[in-house]
Amino acid sequence: MFDWSVITQNTDLILKGLLITLYYTVVTTVLGLAIGLIIALAQLTRISAIHWSGRLFVEFFRNVPLLVWLLWSYYALPIFLGINISKQLAGILALSLYGAAYYAEILRAGIQSLDKGQSDAARALGMSTGQAMQRIILPQAFRRMIPPLAGQTIIQMKNTTLLSVITVPDLLYQAGYISSFTYRPMEVYTAIGVVFLIILIPSNYLARKLETHNS
Amino acid sequence: MNMTSKKEGQPLVSIKGLSKSFGSHKVLRNIDLDVHEGEVVALLGSSGSGKTTLLRCINLLEMPDHGEIEIGGNAIFKCSGEGQSRSSISQKQVNALRSRVGMVFQHFNLFPHMSVLGNVMEGPRTVLKEDAGKNRERALDYLAKVGMSEFADRRPDRLSGGQKQRVSIARALNMCPKVMLFDEPTSALDPELVGEVLETMMTLAKEGMTMIVVTHELGFALEVADRVVFLNEGCVEADGPPSDVLLHPDNERVQSFVNRFHATAELMRPLLQES
Repeated sequence: MFDWSVITQNTDLILKGLLITLYYTVVTTVLGLAIGLIIALAQLTRISAIHWSGRLFVEFFRNVPLLVWLLWSYYALPIFLGINISKQLAGILALSLYGAAYYAEILRAGIQSLDKGQSDAARALGMSTGQAMQRIILPQAFRRMIPPLAGQTIIQMKNTTLLSVITVPDLLYQAGYISSFTYRPMEVYTAIGVVFLIILIPSNYLARKLETHNS
Repeated sequence: MNMTSKKEGQPLVSIKGLSKSFGSHKVLRNIDLDVHEGEVVALLGSSGSGKTTLLRCINLLEMPDHGEIEIGGNAIFKCSGEGQSRSSISQKQVNALRSRVGMVFQHFNLFPHMSVLGNVMEGPRTVLKEDAGKNRERALDYLAKVGMSEFADRRPDRLSGGQKQRVSIARALNMCPKVMLFDEPTSALDPELVGEVLETMMTLAKEGMTMIVVTHELGFALEVADRVVFLNEGCVEADGPPSDVLLHPDNERVQSFVNRFHATAELMRPLLQES
């Protein structure tokens, strides 16, 4: 029934797709975290214009379906801006900003969950807001945020499969391509699913370990 | 009066007409308070009387609404009245001021991600950019002074409440402050741990440290403080030597406050006799 030879004959394509998937996961996670931190800090300021732009950013991305936003970034944004955007750039932009909104919420909640006494103590020593953030608040907050951040990063990796829609040759795109000339979608999509499980089950296990380790 | 010798010259901390509200609730009403160098002042009053807020205003952890605060002759806050323009100092100057005012909190607020020694070294390291060698030496001296040398490498979460509070005193001292503020330093402690913290504070007082102490320990106020300031509903109700204010109170509110402690002692007596 199963004919696994289609997989073994096309491992190079699958590996290529896997590399692309990992590449987009890493790049959009790093960018998403960096932008997310800025958005989180923006939401924590008392200057209301900055605070509300941060909130607006988060609300926007949490309420727009990722697929819609991705297609919009690729097809509509270039027309709005009157420039050409490659599918790679559109993909990175869309996924990074989308991830940033969720990372921002995790970071904001983590910072706010810290006892106010910690920032009192830092300020009483004479630390500036930046010093208190860097030395006292963020190191503690990050430790608490590792489990939810790990969870969000796993979601981020799964979300990269949507890039196949704008023809970025990731794992899912390669699967479609291989089945188009082998006519064996059953084997191919099963294999792709298994690849994700092989990567993500240990990652989830690790994230859970970190969670128990931290509590 | 035993405090006259310390009352000469310019006060180290001078507060005039200080007021502060949280929403419509007036926490401080027109407070005047001068503290001279080397003086130990106990701030007493029932909860909600404004004593903690007053203490937090002194290093501007809480922004007053109006009034004046001077430390070492420098105005750090000045606002003549409601709606008037405030002249408070820049954030940089606020930070510099705070670095010379030590503060000890009710809940210690040690940094849990640093060792005991790391906690004590953190202020000079980050705020004063002092080199590690000198800083470490002085930090270890202060840890020895509060009797915590052997715990230098421990994490705060492995210390008892009394030990934590002694470390937090060392952390404040390592900035070489001109004045130390204590915000109910023994209120979160198990009764058997109160003594070790009070003892540390007594040593400091004897060495001439200027201290403003919000406390419920009447014994400490009587034995160690040069002066007791009693707050009630945001006003200074009594101000004078501890024996006058606490043992011969001519003020009704102070009287009932002190009586409550006597009443507790009376309630306890039969229990103590039984055991």
